[in-house]
Amino acid sequence: MGLERKIQLGAYALFIVALFLVPEFSDEFWLNRASKYLVYGMLGVSIALTWGYAGVLSLGQGLFFGIGAYMLAMSLKLASPTSLAQGSDRPIPDFMLWNAEPDAPVELCCITPGSYLWLPFESVSFGMLMGVLLPAVVAGILGTIVFKKRISGVFISIITLALVLLVRLVVIDLQPLTNGFNGLTDLAFLTIAGFEFDPYSRSTYYLCAASLALVLIAARLLADTRASLILQAIRDDQQRARHLGFNVPMYQTFFFVVSAAIAGYAGMLFVVASEFASPTFMDLSFSVAMVVWAAVGGRSSLLGACIGAIAINWIEAEVSETAALVEAWKAIIGLIFVLVVLFLPRGLGGVAHDLAARLARRQSRKAAAAGTAGAEVKRHA
Amino acid sequence: MPSALRVENVTAQFGAFKAVDSVSLSVSDGELRVLLGANGAGKTTLMDLISGRIPCAEGDVQVYGRTITNWQEHRIASAGVGRKFQIPSVFRNLSVRKNIEVARCHSQSVFKNLRFRLPAADRRRVDDVLELTGLQDSAEQLAAHLSHGETQWLELGMLVAQDPKVVLLDEPTAGMTQGETSKTAEIIKRLRGDHSIVVIEHDMGFVREIAEVITVMHLGKVIAEGPVEQIEKDPEVRAAYLGSTGIL
Ligand SMILES: Nc1ncnc2c1ncn2[C@@H]1O[C@H](COP(=O)(O)OP(=O)(O)OP(=O)(O)O)[C@@H](O)[C@H]1O
Ligand SMILES: [Mg+2]
Repeated sequence: MGLERKIQLGAYALFIVALFLVPEFSDEFWLNRASKYLVYGMLGVSIALTWGYAGVLSLGQGLFFGIGAYMLAMSLKLASPTSLAQGSDRPIPDFMLWNAEPDAPVELCCITPGSYLWLPFESVSFGMLMGVLLPAVVAGILGTIVFKKRISGVFISIITLALVLLVRLVVIDLQPLTNGFNGLTDLAFLTIAGFEFDPYSRSTYYLCAASLALVLIAARLLADTRASLILQAIRDDQQRARHLGFNVPMYQTFFFVVSAAIAGYAGMLFVVASEFASPTFMDLSFSVAMVVWAAVGGRSSLLGACIGAIAINWIEAEVSETAALVEAWKAIIGLIFVLVVLFLPRGLGGVAHDLAARLARRQSRKAAAAGTAGAEVKRHA
Repeated sequence: MPSALRVENVTAQFGAFKAVDSVSLSVSDGELRVLLGANGAGKTTLMDLISGRIPCAEGDVQVYGRTITNWQEHRIASAGVGRKFQIPSVFRNLSVRKNIEVARCHSQSVFKNLRFRLPAADRRRVDDVLELTGLQDSAEQLAAHLSHGETQWLELGMLVAQDPKVVLLDEPTAGMTQGETSKTAEIIKRLRGDHSIVVIEHDMGFVREIAEVITVMHLGKVIAEGPVEQIEKDPEVRAAYLGSTGIL
């Protein structure tokens, strides 16, 4: 194993260890905030996979995040005490009663048009499954169409952007089904096998930390496969890759799906930590923000994009404690983004990578020099 | 044994214009065929038709008896047709070694490539290719940093690694110095024998050195075919070249 690789793996290990040490130094209130930053870090990883490795810039990653969030939130809404106290023997979300026709039966099957879609979400496992599966399926269908048609570059960005805005509108519009603009609030704590994840407890933080560690390691392993190498080749020159015999749309779609599944997973965790799901997850500004985090952290570095996302959100929260800086912060982050794009197109992760490479080269040169010196000595002896 | 490559009456249609007009060609197993013709004769377009980059309006393409007409590019490539482009085309943001490794990954499916490294035999093969192309010292460099000649060699090396049965080479010595050209000839000779090769080439010295049979195209049609000496004497070929580059 080369020194460069050792440094890389060391950085991952260090980061993951640090993740699990955080609770030793902070209170529950702060841990809840930190959990959300970790979720953003996960989004950074998902952007880096598509943008950095596949060269596909999705401006609609919020769609997958939002779908993941809503899937779990639907289950947690049904599990909340208020849903159980609406006068029927099976749970019903309170907002459905507010939106129902006066003579509608108070049953989840038929209280509002389409309310039967909520039925399977009585099972939290179903909600959790759908939180990853549905984003993956949507990305699979979208990717198959777009990549087979050889749509690339800015057009993919526009299509994904249009799609997230479209779905956001639909969610807001379907008030009786989604509670529209207000989103899903008053959710139960996530409970897995009798264990409750209180958002203001260490357990939720550990859930987020373990999830992020898992996603980082899985993404790192994936990035080390031949499939990822071929994907990067496709990013550089699709035509060349096709004539080497690779099924180009299949590679692009596969990685797009993985990235969407990660974003969906992140959406679910966000619901656990924040206790709500809202159409704002599908705001354009949020999807763009993810891209900025990844660009600053380094779009072709999974760990870099992850740390970029965490750091920017952390700093933002610290800064917004100071009233005078709240507005200035937007300008500052905009400026940082422009500077990075102009001077460090590979982001901070790219800088770290170059430093590691230089160190490795110096080391190997030193070793080579020692080698020839050794040979000299032998010859003289 | 069927021909390695058999092209029958293929036509490339761009609007009303036929860049390749009912061309037939048959390359036998292990043969090296040179494709000659003035600028715009339709040589590159013929390779585009064979490799699936553009659709055949008419006609048929077969590789070892198997019809591959109008298949998708990656399926044609998997059926054993490799190609070098006129404008050298490599993966510029990958290292030289990785370029060759990519070419050495044989399965077209993403799932079959969810493995970490190439098998040891393939890794040795990658080293061989690096040595053959003389790129072993730049193996860890980005392909973007190679000179023009080196880029051409890398693309040839990728073809050697890909190891297709039929190799299409579009002007592999374009823009090369004398020394570089003779090294390219070495690489092409290495491909020879195990592979059936079609090469588009303008450099007549080079052609004389490697060619067995030459096919000459003019304005989208084949106007002559035969051994070098016969082609050089052919009056129609001379007429086609008269006033153009005059390389014969
Ligand atoms: N996509 C296209 N659309 C329209 N015309 C095209 C297209 N591709 C090629 N042509 C035309 O087809 C003709 C043959 O082009 P081709 O590139 O095959 O020539 P060539 O023999 O390779 O020439 P050269 O020696 O210059 O490479 C040219 O007149 C060219 O302008
Ligand atoms: Mg040409």
